[in-house]
Amino acid sequence: ARRGAAPGLAPAMESADGAVRTLPSIGRLSRGPTFGRAHGRFGLSPSGRLLPPAPRSQENADPQRTAFLLRKQWTLYSVTPLYRFSDARLRDYARLLSAFIAAEKQKGLAVEVGVELDIKVSVSSLPDLKGSDQDQAAILVQLSSRSAASSKNSEEKLIWSGWFCCVSGDDLSENVPEDFTCLPLFLANGGESYTSIVGSWFQKTFDCCFRRLAISPLNLSWMAAMWTGCKVDKTASAMELVFSVPCLPQPLNISYAIHPEDAKALWDTVQKTPGEITQEEVDVFMDCLYSHFHRHFKIHLSATKLVKVSTAIASAHCDGIIKFLQSQYLTGVLMLLTELAISQIQ
Amino acid sequence: VTINFREYEDNAVWIRIAWGTPYTKPNQYKTSYVVYHSQTPYVFISVSVLKSNLPLLCQALVVASSYHDIHEMELRSHSLNSLKDIVFKRYSQNFQTYYPRPLQERNVAPENGDLRIIQENRNEKERIQRVNQEVFGDGPQPKLEFAQYKLETMFKSDPKMDVLDEKEPFRCLVKFSSPHLLESLKSLAPAGMADAPLSPLLTCIPQKARNYFKIREKKGFFPGSFVSP
Repeated sequence: ARRGAAPGLAPAMESADGAVRTLPSIGRLSRGPTFGRAHGRFGLSPSGRLLPPAPRSQENADPQRTAFLLRKQWTLYSVTPLYRFSDARLRDYARLLSAFIAAEKQKGLAVEVGVELDIKVSVSSLPDLKGSDQDQAAILVQLSSRSAASSKNSEEKLIWSGWFCCVSGDDLSENVPEDFTCLPLFLANGGESYTSIVGSWFQKTFDCCFRRLAISPLNLSWMAAMWTGCKVDKTASAMELVFSVPCLPQPLNISYAIHPEDAKALWDTVQKTPGEITQEEVDVFMDCLYSHFHRHFKIHLSATKLVKVSTAIASAHCDGIIKFLQSQYLTGVLMLLTELAISQIQ
Repeated sequence: VTINFREYEDNAVWIRIAWGTPYTKPNQYKTSYVVYHSQTPYVFISVSVLKSNLPLLCQALVVASSYHDIHEMELRSHSLNSLKDIVFKRYSQNFQTYYPRPLQERNVAPENGDLRIIQENRNEKERIQRVNQEVFGDGPQPKLEFAQYKLETMFKSDPKMDVLDEKEPFRCLVKFSSPHLLESLKSLAPAGMADAPLSPLLTCIPQKARNYFKIREKKGFFPGSFVSP
């Protein structure tokens, strides 16, 4: 069995000011050769390289600043390291991207048919969104439109957002030459055509490559198990698994939603080793759910395709679509997604 | 309220209702429909009836039809004809027959294909076909889009696994959806995704004329098939 290697040592991490913090429950994220890749990048490092889901910067982070990321549907991409990217030049990039978009529109690759829109580009940094100190701070790109008709007092409407981030992506950033910046995870919300224009500009300018990040049923089960175990303050929403059986004469979709307390109670009895989650535990958890279902309906869920997982913390779809629902676990989920993105790149 | 009646063939009376309030005229764009077949104790109400108007509508129907009472069956679908089929028992039901049907009558693919291709598990495949036929009947299934089960049964696991052993029910909500649910369910066992016979919880849908269920633990038996009204 593949074992997660989150060090079970000192369940606290010292920050610079000497204060010792305890790990919130999501610290039990496995760092073993998960997701089918054994790169040896997740070794048990004696320096206690834990997975700080609440990194130092987030201690002082204002959850308001990242609140806009919640409850939106983000499409995931993996991005190879960017060549000669500098976070001191964000204003320049915004200007260049803006010019590029205008040029593309001139070329007739019109994004909005009809209304003449003035697109304003902003590129900024999100310092709160990182895992370790080695991580590059997240970069946010936003496109707003202003109707050209009344430029004076018209409102700016946000029409597209995309952000690059890297949460605990040390394994990638450590192995990459000097001039490269690692921001392997890209999340986009808004029109597909804008995503493609912004993506093209970044690809041209920084010699990187974007690819849609799909999430396999195996990874989805990990997410289901991990997120079910997280403590949530308010009344949590149900833990829902959605399965699809497309190859029948008439396709079938099955939604299996479990009361969050009952799901968590089950997970708590399955998850035995403190500080780590193993593949075996995830398998047992899923098997329990499958067999409970089978006893009632005689249907083998394991023969169907798990396409979506939804919990109080976040929801994830196999096409690579994610929704964050709780700000306290935002970095934890990003850490997982960064891992997936890095797997896809390597 | 504005009410219009229209009679169709097959004795169906369609009642169109536009709702207003003491202060506003009836809204002719958001109407509800009620279909009633005289001589039957059934009435089909479109989902566009607001929950608040429903009790009133039901009362009116009871009075108008000289019945005692009306109560909602847990059966919903987009296809009115299918609902009628189920409720009037017009779909092909499974009859117990004791004479074994000769195998040639099955729609098994002709054997004159490549003789080198041997069907493994042929017996099992045939058993599945036969059981499916017994359970679902021969004809086309009524068209339903959803089935929903609220499960409040106990979680039981393989004792070897040493997991949850609660005294409380394991609460789940299961929803099946498909453009044609019953046909889809019928094809699961032949596709290898389900056992044959399929669970009675699913196959009882047409007979019980319902597709919304609450399942609780039945004392002494498992799986709990006690269906609460």
